[in-house]
Amino acid sequence: MKLLRILPLVMIFMGALLLSERPAYAYADPGTGLLALQAAGSALIAAGWYLRRKIYTLFHRAKPAADNQEEAARVVNGEDSHSS
Amino acid sequence: MNGLLNPPNRPARHPSTDSGLEPTFRDPAGQLRLMDDCALRQIRPAAREVTLEFLRSPLRTALEQSGDLIASKIASPDDHPLVAPGELWLEHPRVDPISYPWEWTTAQWRAAAELTLRVASQAIAAGWTLKDATPLNVLFMGPRPVLVDVLSFERRDPRSTVWLAYGQFVRTFLLPLVAAKYLGWPLEATLFRRDGYEPREISKALPRRQRFSPAWFDVVTLATLLERPSQKPSDAKKLPTAKDPALARHILEKRIARLGKQIRHAAGTPNRSQWSDYTQAARHYKPADIERKRQFVKATLERLRPARVLDIGANTGSYARMAAEAGAEVVAFDSDAAALETLWETAAREKLPIAALVANVARPTPAAGWRNREHLSLLDRLVGRFDLVLMLAVIHHLILREQAPLALIGELAASLTRRWLLVEWVPPSDPMYQEWLRGRDELYGNLSEDDLKQAFAPFFAVADRCSLDNQRVLLLFERMGETSGGAAETGKINHKESTA
Repeated sequence: MKLLRILPLVMIFMGALLLSERPAYAYADPGTGLLALQAAGSALIAAGWYLRRKIYTLFHRAKPAADNQEEAARVVNGEDSHSS
Repeated sequence: MNGLLNPPNRPARHPSTDSGLEPTFRDPAGQLRLMDDCALRQIRPAAREVTLEFLRSPLRTALEQSGDLIASKIASPDDHPLVAPGELWLEHPRVDPISYPWEWTTAQWRAAAELTLRVASQAIAAGWTLKDATPLNVLFMGPRPVLVDVLSFERRDPRSTVWLAYGQFVRTFLLPLVAAKYLGWPLEATLFRRDGYEPREISKALPRRQRFSPAWFDVVTLATLLERPSQKPSDAKKLPTAKDPALARHILEKRIARLGKQIRHAAGTPNRSQWSDYTQAARHYKPADIERKRQFVKATLERLRPARVLDIGANTGSYARMAAEAGAEVVAFDSDAAALETLWETAAREKLPIAALVANVARPTPAAGWRNREHLSLLDRLVGRFDLVLMLAVIHHLILREQAPLALIGELAASLTRRWLLVEWVPPSDPMYQEWLRGRDELYGNLSEDDLKQAFAPFFAVADRCSLDNQRVLLLFERMGETSGGAAETGKINHKESTA
């Protein structure tokens, strides 16, 4: 079910990425299919980038320590919750 | 745009280089000329600032220090008559010999591709990018690949998620390797494919099921499906960007990591051939004969101390390696790519100064490219550049498989060496000679060592001799009328002889 929740977000980010464009000045022929492949690939990787924490929580119960400021602060202050 | 609209200027004051090559002309940012002792690169005014910025950058320093990028210095008009005051020219060391991708083994292709990706990755991290990525921008210094095009670097838009040279990398590096491994299209065929293969060509040739292999589904099948031949011109000018520069960099790094994986997959399995295990499997040699041959070659190398050695038919490189260990710079070639792969891998692992080329002395790599003046023929790169040429157990191949007369073989050898030639003569009684004789006894069955000496007599005198128990003979020849002299001068003299 979590997967269904994040799907609209993926679509939005992919759309936003593909809409944001700038003029190209190529020296080597970038191709047409291979250039389009890069655009599509960029969108997929970007979706993964924005949703990396959500994807992480799909497979892990606890949040990654570095992404959780409170937990990080506890670790820094010597109050590591895992050790208690 | 000047570079695109106008052909490169060749003012009358420009002396022609002796390399036989046209100055390069594709890159609008500048052009390269090969000189006797260096390569000179003229930078066009439009590319002056970015080139100077790159030369001052820590990226350039790091790449030169790691040996991944050819050294550059600003050329002075005092040292080079070509350089006009006020113009920006760069001077690079000459890489000798030049080797072309169609003369590389699969492992060399992989090394060149990995070098390109490594440099691209470092460039991206430093805010730069490679604007082109082709094997033609890589040369081998000994066994080590080096990027030689300093004009490939340009500033990167920090928000761009596209690597413009990605398509060229796929077409010129990845797809030839995929085609070689899965379709049997030889890497040598890239001689005729400057811009590599289009995804649709590979897709069409692959069996239907293989088109969906995860190893190349994206760059072959998906890229073919995404091709839009009738797209509007405005579409072609737009590229995707990301708002967050960190994300843009992440995307580019992922893309390069994926290409690295695909290259390793396509260039992974080493090939084996009849000749790649030849040295180990040789039945016609007893250990005592091998040892005697090795001792003679070693003693000859130590006595002559040649600075440059050419090993023709080098196989897996036992003697090329011996020459390198004796202090020589070695060029080794063989027509068997699998045997040469072992040679290159050994040289790369042990950092030996051996340049390895897949080439056939009887059908040397031709000149290629625009007017046949973009890429030199093999012999143009080798003639007159060696103090010692090794032709160990090669001549019987040339006689029996190429039907080359002994006199022509002698003439060719004399054009390659400045002074010494070491030959291993394989007599008709030898099992390897018999294997290729194939009933042509009347023509080739009675050739003797004396016939060899007589045919070589117009060019060489015998300086030393060593006979082995298996009837093979090692002969050291010395060129007549040549005791020393510069490579270029000797090369010209020899060239006249060989075309007379």
